[in-house]
Amino acid sequence: MGTINVSKKYTAKEKAYLPAILIGMKITMKRFIQGFLFRKHDTIMYPEKKRDYSDRFRGMHFISVDKNKTENCTACYLCETICPAECIHIVADERDEEHNPYGVKKEKKPVSFDIDALRCCFCGFCEEACPKDAIKLSGNYELAVSSREEAIYDLDHLKRDMNGRREK
Amino acid sequence: MSNITEFDIKKPKVDLNYASDKKPVHSDPNPEAKPLPKVTIDGKTYDFKPGDTIMQVAERYKVHEEIPRYCYHPGMPIAGTCRMCTVEVEKAPKLMTSCSTPAADGMVVHTRSDKVMKSRTGVMEFLLTNHPLDCPVCDKAGECELQDYNYEYGPGTSNFKEEKRVFEHATTKKLSDKVTLNMNRCVHCERCVRFTDDVTKTNDLVMVNRGWHKELEATTEAGLTNEYQGCLTDFCPVGALTWNDFRFKKRSWFLNRKPSLCDGCSKGCNIEVHSDSEIVYRYVPIYNELVNGHWMCDAGRSSYTSYTNPLRVIAPLMKHNDALHSTSIQTLLTDLQVHLKNAASIQLVVGTDATREEAALLKEKVPTIIGKNIAVSYFNGTNGVQTSADDKKLDELLKMKDLTPNTKGVEEQGLSPLANGEVNADIAILFRNGRAGIPKMKADQKVVLWGIWSQDELKSFPSKNILGVIAGLATIEKEGSYKNADGIVQKFHPAITHKGGALSAHQVVGVWKTLN
Repeated sequence: MGTINVSKKYTAKEKAYLPAILIGMKITMKRFIQGFLFRKHDTIMYPEKKRDYSDRFRGMHFISVDKNKTENCTACYLCETICPAECIHIVADERDEEHNPYGVKKEKKPVSFDIDALRCCFCGFCEEACPKDAIKLSGNYELAVSSREEAIYDLDHLKRDMNGRREK
Repeated sequence: MSNITEFDIKKPKVDLNYASDKKPVHSDPNPEAKPLPKVTIDGKTYDFKPGDTIMQVAERYKVHEEIPRYCYHPGMPIAGTCRMCTVEVEKAPKLMTSCSTPAADGMVVHTRSDKVMKSRTGVMEFLLTNHPLDCPVCDKAGECELQDYNYEYGPGTSNFKEEKRVFEHATTKKLSDKVTLNMNRCVHCERCVRFTDDVTKTNDLVMVNRGWHKELEATTEAGLTNEYQGCLTDFCPVGALTWNDFRFKKRSWFLNRKPSLCDGCSKGCNIEVHSDSEIVYRYVPIYNELVNGHWMCDAGRSSYTSYTNPLRVIAPLMKHNDALHSTSIQTLLTDLQVHLKNAASIQLVVGTDATREEAALLKEKVPTIIGKNIAVSYFNGTNGVQTSADDKKLDELLKMKDLTPNTKGVEEQGLSPLANGEVNADIAILFRNGRAGIPKMKADQKVVLWGIWSQDELKSFPSKNILGVIAGLATIEKEGSYKNADGIVQKFHPAITHKGGALSAHQVVGVWKTLN
């Protein structure tokens, strides 16, 4: 089997390259004038200006709270069970009876609730599985951290008083 | 039970109302004997023993998965109140409860006809009118019969628009320090009431009031007092009764279930070890007609805590400057060998919680390895029991006086009991797995400890007396066999993998041999 040469010969128009350069320069000048004189950009000045994503965007998780700032999570482990990336780790315990105005509804609580954001694939299954609407995915997409340990978020970090999926 | 190697035991005292030998019934080969009666279930004809109920015949031959049931439990008297197990019997005007209807010759039964399925859907809908939808919080979720049967037979929707019934004072009621009651979840099958009435015969529980207000209560102010409360939480079909020790610890679907033996007493109850990531969360009894029936006692149920105890020694410890230090098994045995060679007399005491294999190994191999004549004897020392002759039943059900699992098995190896329960030698090697007692000894007795010891137990010896600790494996972590009080030999296999530095007796002896 020999090598098959598939390259074709340049046409006369292609050989005279100047017309193509001029077409390119025309586009460049058009964009320059649009951006410089009329302030029309396709990019944004991140991080001063943030991109506005749709409400369906799945960013970092949070755990919703009720009006007493108690987490809605009852440590049912459904999110941990469904998580395909195995990034959620819960430890459950009984809520102290004296500090439990909710009775049987919130007798179980998470002692620790860790999400490893580096493992997470933001599929949103946890939110779908949650029977208490406790774990939700917010619009927060700024998840840069300087070490792997910082990317493991605990209950104190995740507990948020939010307006739907957005910050209040 | 595949684990049992020998079956030479009298029938247990508790009469189990059960198709316990789940094997097909065979006709008597004697040609003059009457032929067995036949019943047709779902189009197939089966032989049965006269007296069997339809449920028992179906159970024996595994007709479909099982006939759904709430109130019926094989270990208890029949109540026939839940109406979940109804089946259609031809020529009978109404549906019959399969748990309480005796099978008759020539009977034709349909267990999954349209009429039956409609009835079961109706029963499920009524049970769910008041059952709270708190499965996420409920510990029973995943092993709940209400969940399973609702998935299979339930209507999926409900016509019930009213408020659900709530027992305000009994949502989280501690019936004792072991069992919690959530009355909202109860489906009133009364298994628990019949258990305390007929199995433990303590009459601890009773249903008060009727209809909508029917409620489970303890008969005395002390609450539940019997020794088998854990069983209530096993057979409760919903999460109404939950075991405090396991409550909220783990969801049932994460648990690994492996059969093993309880080593809490000489009964040798068959158990299932429920673990996740090699951490034990609970013991649950499994059915064995010859040994424990369906039950196990609370002491046995919580006996796993001594193996998951953070103070348990799980690495070889060697004495250095009168303090114990963790080391490798080779270093420890090399050091011990020097002490043992120089000792004038050595005594090996095998606790009666050693497996039969361990007892045989220690008796044969340890004297030859040390190269001396060693007095080998066994020691029990629990509840004042010295030999298996002292053992006796403490109640009608399962509890035994001897709190070690293998007294008979160790005696079988030809060992003699420790004279006066006191060691009397230069160095005593004490082998025990955390269940047998510690023999009496003089204040400056040098000891080598082998098996399962906790730091608390080590403190009972002056620290300079302990030459070394050889950490051993627990029943649930090793392989072996026990001979129980009734003379049944039961073989068991590891239910979990030991993650520490402890070694089985065979491994230790193997290393010890190579050092000589």
